[in-house]
Amino acid sequence: MSLSDRIEALFMSVQKPVRYMGGEYNAVMKRPEDVDVRYAFLFPDTYEVGMSHLGMKILYHAINARDDAWCERVFSPWVDMADLMRRNDIPLFTLESRTPVKEYDLLGVTLQYEMSFTNILEALDLAGIPLRREDRTDGPFVICGGPCAFNPEPLEPFVDLFALGDGEVETLQTIDVYKKWKASGLPREAYLRMCADIPGIYVPSLYDVSYNADGTVRAVTPKPGSGAPEVVYKAMLPDLNEVTYPDKLIVPYGEIVHNRIMLEIFRGCTRGCRFCQAGMIYRPVRERRMDKLMDMAEKLVSSTGYDEVSLMSLSSGDYSCLPELARAMVEKFAAKRVRIALPSQRIDNVLTDTLKETQKVKKTALTLAPEAGTQRLRDVINKGVTEEDLMRSVTDAFDQGWSAVKLYFMLGLPTETDEDVLGIADLAEKVRKCYFSIPKDRRAPGLRITVSASVFVPKNDTPFQWAPQLDQETVIRRQQLLKQALSKVKGVDFKYHAPDLSYIEAVFARGDRRLGEALEKAWRMGCRFDGWSDRFRYDTWLEAFRACGIDPDFYATRARSEDEVFPWDHLDCGVTKQYLLSEWHKAQRAECTRDCRKGCTGCGMKRYEGACV
Amino acid sequence: MRALIRFGKQPRLRFISHLDLQRFFQRAVNRTGLPIAWSQGFNPHPVMSFGSALALGWTSEYEVIDIKLAAPMGRGRVEAAVRAALPEDLPVLEVRMIDDKHPAPMALVRMSDYRITLNGGDAVLSQVDAFLNRDSVMAVRKTKSGEREVDIRPLCVELRKTDDGLFCRLMLTEKDTLKPDLLLRALSDMAGVEPPEARIHRLALLGMDADGAVKPLMAL
Repeated sequence: MSLSDRIEALFMSVQKPVRYMGGEYNAVMKRPEDVDVRYAFLFPDTYEVGMSHLGMKILYHAINARDDAWCERVFSPWVDMADLMRRNDIPLFTLESRTPVKEYDLLGVTLQYEMSFTNILEALDLAGIPLRREDRTDGPFVICGGPCAFNPEPLEPFVDLFALGDGEVETLQTIDVYKKWKASGLPREAYLRMCADIPGIYVPSLYDVSYNADGTVRAVTPKPGSGAPEVVYKAMLPDLNEVTYPDKLIVPYGEIVHNRIMLEIFRGCTRGCRFCQAGMIYRPVRERRMDKLMDMAEKLVSSTGYDEVSLMSLSSGDYSCLPELARAMVEKFAAKRVRIALPSQRIDNVLTDTLKETQKVKKTALTLAPEAGTQRLRDVINKGVTEEDLMRSVTDAFDQGWSAVKLYFMLGLPTETDEDVLGIADLAEKVRKCYFSIPKDRRAPGLRITVSASVFVPKNDTPFQWAPQLDQETVIRRQQLLKQALSKVKGVDFKYHAPDLSYIEAVFARGDRRLGEALEKAWRMGCRFDGWSDRFRYDTWLEAFRACGIDPDFYATRARSEDEVFPWDHLDCGVTKQYLLSEWHKAQRAECTRDCRKGCTGCGMKRYEGACV
Repeated sequence: MRALIRFGKQPRLRFISHLDLQRFFQRAVNRTGLPIAWSQGFNPHPVMSFGSALALGWTSEYEVIDIKLAAPMGRGRVEAAVRAALPEDLPVLEVRMIDDKHPAPMALVRMSDYRITLNGGDAVLSQVDAFLNRDSVMAVRKTKSGEREVDIRPLCVELRKTDDGLFCRLMLTEKDTLKPDLLLRALSDMAGVEPPEARIHRLALLGMDADGAVKPLMAL
């Protein structure tokens, strides 16, 4: 039986066989003999999650636009499928051609979230690829990109290359270099050395790490004679209008998380919220021109048949001509019955009128993220939102017929006190009052306020990289405090989670190379899909750390001194460490930093050619 | 005006559920660029209907979808547009333009022809004559509301051995339906064996004309 038949023989025994089926509309098929390089792209989570991810769509398109390469998709098989594959000797395969991943030249992996790391090891193992780089003599080179590549050290033993920053060009360069290397006949290590010259590519095997007696990093330095740069600067594309964007998207058969056209209207964010890693590492802000976006949307609507376009970015309300763009899109696509999903916070009155005329406005819950309960703490995190702003937004929304509000907060932010936590309940109460301030005949019935409080995870490359994560006992106590306070506000639904998952996330977010062993241990003990709370096994993680002699508190809850060398200091995310430190100081003084659209704040991005002009 | 389209479901896509296929067609008709008629009401959607649901895991060369158009269109243009909007594993096989008074395909279906390809099916095949000679064959049908014993013999219009399995013509109406997997189970029970590995493929959906003659759905 062919591999394809053996795979299909499992389909009647697994949940959601469409996850593994392939053959979707717009999936790219090529003939293996027509291409020089076969590229497998792994999203280390389920099909439904991975297929909703914009970055993967962009790179799939960019690679497949070349005649000499073929990019095919791989997702983490759910545990039922993985078990069956092992039992039936079926290796991890790509969806397009159902070829074993081991036979590819390059294996790209996107790192969206620390809690997907065990899934990467699981995928390598299912593929029959030795986990550790040093044990591999053939098979694909493993290249990881995405936000977690800015502190990739816990994955160092398993990965050949890390790709920092914008992926569109550097990914293609790794393919060009692969062709050169292949033609050269040089040994495997030579490819890694050749890639060290590509802007944005970090080759971990070319660096030595030394440690201080207290366990902190002393230095990360290029190996003598390796030719690797002391600092790896991220890849940055100054003008997104010049960068390729998919004109087709794969249309899945089953339902996925975000089943619609995603239009990236800009990359980067200028707000400078101090907890937000994305706001730092994706700088600078680069907008796509409106004519370009209209053209992209038109092509995608006709090539996919989707009836919804979502305007994507880190903060779509900040797009400089959002009302014009939204109006133009709504008018253009009304006849085709295509809805435009807009950032709800920024719906001005004129725009709402346009929407009313042309399409039904779905009044789903208004979502706001004040993040902290008091003005003091919002200033600490530089969330440039005042209570007045919030009250105006919710009052407008209630006045326009919304009756459901979701409020997102974080617990455990640096300098947080019980008073800040109780401020969340005050805010919920004030939102309630806003609703009742609208005359009964004008407001929609059935007020619903949802308060969600996640646990703050300090991340690398943010001003809070020096901060300890709040210990779990205090988090739990404050969750209960808030729960009690919110129980006195009528109509509020409070959502929160056990802090243990965030604790493990915090360990890896600021981890170093020594964590690789614990990661492997945890995977061997059965950890996978750790981001799925029903699969997460906290006790197993603690056991894995213990077995490796690692104290997770060292990584999660330890306060860092200002002169500490971090495991990611040799990787430049665009924003300088010096700037982050000044932001950390300002945070402790509860001092705000302006949105840099209103004037440069000197974050360091100007060191990059073409940035911020 | 409506377009009656017969399409196939190739092996690769046999694990798409009927519900997912319906959702898929909502987007596929948008891609055709044809003037599709939309339903009125709170949640407008393209007006279309299917001939008969195909079970998960089966292939077909006779799936029928009926799409309502808001403006008259030539058959050739409709066929080309639909072909371009479907993946190669859902090939367009036949297109016919019908007027609005034509009954819905679902209402016309009476029977379906299937090809059952068997792997290790000798015991089952040896029971075919016995099955045909009996007046009644009781079998347990599992439905949403539980298990029910039905006489499947009258629901099997035709059954014969082929080179690699069976051909059968089975009733397919709201009241009387026999699915090929149940037929296979009944034959296996008669032989006292577990049902063999089988690939089920729909060859045709059939209805009856005014004279009671059995005809393929597209020809009615």
